[in-house]
Amino acid sequence: MAKRHFHDELHDLEIKMLAMGGDVQAQVGLALKGLIEDESHLFSKVVEGDDLIDTYYLEIERTVVDLFALQTPVASDLRLLTVLLHINLHLERVADMAVNMAKIGALAEELPRNDSVLTHLQEMGGIALKMIGATMDAFARRDLDLCLELPRMDDPIDRLNRGMLQEVLAISDDKRLLEWGIRMHVVSRQIERIGDHAVDIAEQVAYLITGEFREFTDASHPQGAD
Amino acid sequence: MSTDKPVFKTRDLGVRYADNVAVAGITMDIAENQITALIGPSGCGKSTLIRCFNRMNDLIPSAKVMGEILYRDQNLYLPEVDPVEVRQRIGMVFQKPNPFPKSIYENVAFGLRANGMTDNMPTRVEEALKRAALWDEVKRDLKTNALSLSGGQQQRLCIARALAVEPDVILMDEPASALDPIATARIEDLARELKDQYTIIIVTHNMQQAARLSDFTAFLTVDVDETESRRTGVLVEYAETSQIFTRPKDPRTEAYITGRFG
Amino acid sequence: MRPALSAGSRKGRLSETLFVGALLLAVLIGVAALAALVISVLSQGIPRLSIEFLTSLPSRFAEKAGARPAIFGTLWIISVCTLFSVPVGIGAAIYLEEFAKKGRLSTLIDVNIANLAGVPSIIYGLLGLALFVRMFAMGRSVLAGGLTLGLLVLPVIVIVGREALRAVPSSIREGALALGATKWQTISRQVLPVALPSFMTGVILAISRAIGETAPLIAMGALTYVTFVPKALGDRFTALPIQIFNWTSRPQAEFLDTAAAGIVVLLVVLLTMNTAAVLLRHRFEKVPRS
Repeated sequence: MAKRHFHDELHDLEIKMLAMGGDVQAQVGLALKGLIEDESHLFSKVVEGDDLIDTYYLEIERTVVDLFALQTPVASDLRLLTVLLHINLHLERVADMAVNMAKIGALAEELPRNDSVLTHLQEMGGIALKMIGATMDAFARRDLDLCLELPRMDDPIDRLNRGMLQEVLAISDDKRLLEWGIRMHVVSRQIERIGDHAVDIAEQVAYLITGEFREFTDASHPQGAD
Repeated sequence: MSTDKPVFKTRDLGVRYADNVAVAGITMDIAENQITALIGPSGCGKSTLIRCFNRMNDLIPSAKVMGEILYRDQNLYLPEVDPVEVRQRIGMVFQKPNPFPKSIYENVAFGLRANGMTDNMPTRVEEALKRAALWDEVKRDLKTNALSLSGGQQQRLCIARALAVEPDVILMDEPASALDPIATARIEDLARELKDQYTIIIVTHNMQQAARLSDFTAFLTVDVDETESRRTGVLVEYAETSQIFTRPKDPRTEAYITGRFG
Repeated sequence: MRPALSAGSRKGRLSETLFVGALLLAVLIGVAALAALVISVLSQGIPRLSIEFLTSLPSRFAEKAGARPAIFGTLWIISVCTLFSVPVGIGAAIYLEEFAKKGRLSTLIDVNIANLAGVPSIIYGLLGLALFVRMFAMGRSVLAGGLTLGLLVLPVIVIVGREALRAVPSSIREGALALGATKWQTISRQVLPVALPSFMTGVILAISRAIGETAPLIAMGALTYVTFVPKALGDRFTALPIQIFNWTSRPQAEFLDTAAAGIVVLLVVLLTMNTAAVLLRHRFEKVPRS
């Protein structure tokens, strides 16, 4: 085989990317757990765990640029490398969101909580976790159909996010509860953006598979037929 | 393939040497004023193919051309077509620079004399050398022996003498493979400049060169039949270069250009 | 750890030295034999050399015998030989190498030309006798003699010509043809000029061989004793080798000196021609060929 070393390196990079995806998903799960189940010791764990994500990010970034310079990749190899760069960035952002959630959780530790809002958040968080898993799965298996599922999975999150406002307004009487509610609203915004990032990753994977870049949805147009 | 008026049209073009079919079934259009690259593994017949375009395969007694090739809607291989005239219109530059063992001036003048273009010879020679980006380096003494030039200069001299006879098309068979990287870069720059006036077809085993230089790329590969006895070159994919190198359609193309071939 | 470098196994060294020694011995034997011949000829011949020798006619008296008719005879027949064999030879070489279709027939021709080059020269003499002297009624003339020698060297010249043409890289032909030159333009303006030096070298060597031929000339009727210098193509003649042969077969011992002088002249001519050939090759090979 002509370029054995290069293709082995590509394979290793993919593995690393998938591992990073798993860790990012775990980070989000941890932050959510801390918020939902009121286990505040988890928050500092999330913040510490972000260092590992950053290491992944830098390594992957550096390796991709090296491979561009040294291997002059073409066709699917080229697309894989550009897609890896994008996924890298999106995952890193998702990890940041998990950290934000943890930090907010730490700030809201002493505040009273509301079950309805928490259920809402749990539902949103569950979907977001599933979406991260699905998009990384689609990447691992190069599954175009699964990629196209992601925008659909995102709809409930958007809906739930819009519903959060109502939920928070409903608890506006108690000032401390309201403060907590507002903070949770910010959390829901984070989760909504995690969903968006997952859709973006799926977009990239679809490009990797088909060679054609198509935006799945953007704010001005609802999702098209295919 | 968007080519308004193709300079060449081939239909099922092939070449056989006695029993062995070297290349077959080539159907493609070559666009005017573009650089078309032929790439593929060794033995895929790309050199054999390019030599059909200027009837250089005629020089090999056992070679027989099959199919059809039209140059500006004229069948190149009709009996009444004079191969000498074909070669004046369709010039060729070879892999190993092959200047004549004569002076620089005589190298360029030979083609002019052979084709009866003897008016204003010194001007024609100078023009050709200028167009080949060699003039400044040799103008001081055109009587220097061509063999004393560097490899890159010799190749540009070969291009100059091809340009002197005012061709329509320039065929380049791995023109830079014997040259160092800097000389190669100069030849590539020259090819880019020349495509405004000429149509260029280039055979190259260097994929990055094809990617850098060409507008269209044709990928050929060796087709081995079941009994593993016959090896024939075939055209796998032919498209705009940017497409071939970002999203090739045929898995064989993908395998070759990403190096997963073999 | 590998052992330190040594000066090489003693056994290998010894056999190599012996081998080189044997080769050297072979060279010495050859050189010595040649030297013996040359020295004996020179010592006998040089004293006898003089302008009179070169310009006088032969005579019954050894002291007065000269080589003039022989020298002129040789010059005449070699000129005829060259003028005939070179154009015909190179023409045939060009045709066979550049135009003829390679196939059974051309292989047959190749084999036969090689055979002809090896045919004993006396056969050519007999051929010359039958063909030129008798059939074409040229008589035993300079013309017939020159043509006979011409036939003798023709196969060699054709072979030399083909080699010279073959040595021209095909890249030159391709380059010329690719510019829209015709086959003849390519051959005449690019291939021949490159082939010429080595062709000339080969021609000179072939001709110098012809100069020394005796048997064919005698067979077709060259004289062995002439008292006149040939002035026209139809004249009878003798040649240097024949004259030398004639002198050696005389009973008088002094004629051996005369013969030696003749041999010296012949050697000088041969040496000059061979040197010219070598110099030519050197001069033209200074121009690098790709």
